[in-house]
Amino acid sequence: MTKGILIFAHNGPEVDYGTMSIIAGGLAKKHLDLPVSLVTDKWTIAWLKESGMYSKAESTFDKIIEIEKPRTKNTRKLHDGFYSQTIPFVNSNRFSVWDLSPYNQTLLIDSDYLIFSDRLNEYWNTDSSVMLGHSMNDITGERSGILDRRVSETGVHMFWATTVMFTKNEESRFFFKLVDFIKDNYRYYADLFRFDPRQYRNDIAFSVAKHIMNGFETEFVYTLPPILTVFDKDMLHEVNGNRLTFLIDKPLNCGDFWAATTTGVDVHIMNKQSIMRNKEKLLELV
Amino acid sequence: MDERLKAALDFSNYRQTLAIQRKTLKEKIEGKLTYGHSGGIFKIDRTLLAFVQMLIDKGRIENVPLIDQNENPILIPNLQQFLDEILDRYFTATYEYHEEYEKIKSSRTVEKLLNI
Repeated sequence: MTKGILIFAHNGPEVDYGTMSIIAGGLAKKHLDLPVSLVTDKWTIAWLKESGMYSKAESTFDKIIEIEKPRTKNTRKLHDGFYSQTIPFVNSNRFSVWDLSPYNQTLLIDSDYLIFSDRLNEYWNTDSSVMLGHSMNDITGERSGILDRRVSETGVHMFWATTVMFTKNEESRFFFKLVDFIKDNYRYYADLFRFDPRQYRNDIAFSVAKHIMNGFETEFVYTLPPILTVFDKDMLHEVNGNRLTFLIDKPLNCGDFWAATTTGVDVHIMNKQSIMRNKEKLLELV
Repeated sequence: MDERLKAALDFSNYRQTLAIQRKTLKEKIEGKLTYGHSGGIFKIDRTLLAFVQMLIDKGRIENVPLIDQNENPILIPNLQQFLDEILDRYFTATYEYHEEYEKIKSSRTVEKLLNI
């Protein structure tokens, strides 16, 4: 049975997801010792070529799978520390991972999830067709709110689709078809599960699908570990080997920071611009 | 700013960085103490180690069902091999935990904490 990692990357005007996926893919390949493939589009490939990163992409990825870039009206407010901007957000095609993945067992990760340990390798043989990140775990342990834990104040448990592990079988096929259906009927499910429909979020669609597939029950049969997360108001300040130094936004003290480091732990860095500011150092690790 | 307040705020920053460092270290060790075996996920802790050792002492060494961290029964074909593995992982992780924790504990400034 083949195992591998898959990353989706569609560049936007402000974020170079292509290069970020090389960093995330390279680190995942190094620490999990598994092949990594990329799902992307011709525009992102063209930019990788223009920016001189395509050869690095070819050496990092087992396969580069080119698809049509999905059209999107979806936007998100992206912070870079103190600053923020609203940008287009292409995230509506994750459901297609079942068809696109070249592996029997796939670990799907976000391009801003940097893997520095082999922890996720423990989960490959687990008796479960689809596993999602159990929850989000803020680096300080103090800043997550109800909407990080549930899809709405009164809604179901929110899993995090930053990490998704699945085995190709009928059950997982149904799951991803259901995610697609929820995406297509997002406003209906927003009414039903009481979440905010203005921005399509994979975390929510996957959580609702998981809830439905569990027979409308919240049952944590098997999940992937919580996602250690550094918010986009925080900043990746420095990379020194496997040690990442962050400036952590102080709640209620806008523009003031704590300092913290991580070493040897997988970390979801939501401030994409700060990943890109450190790309040379990160690419050295790949 | 008043010197007394500045000193207190500096110390507060140090304590917060210390707390984050301890938290991320704990998570790193928790990851190392997670063990996937025979389709189950086990948290390696003193209870599991003692229980497995007790089963072996009682002569239960082959095809033994253990309850994993998700409360599912997982059949372990060779319990001695299982014990050897979890014992090895436990000591590797806890020695690392101790070593890193000592470094954190002895770092009295934010700069030193960040350089661990």
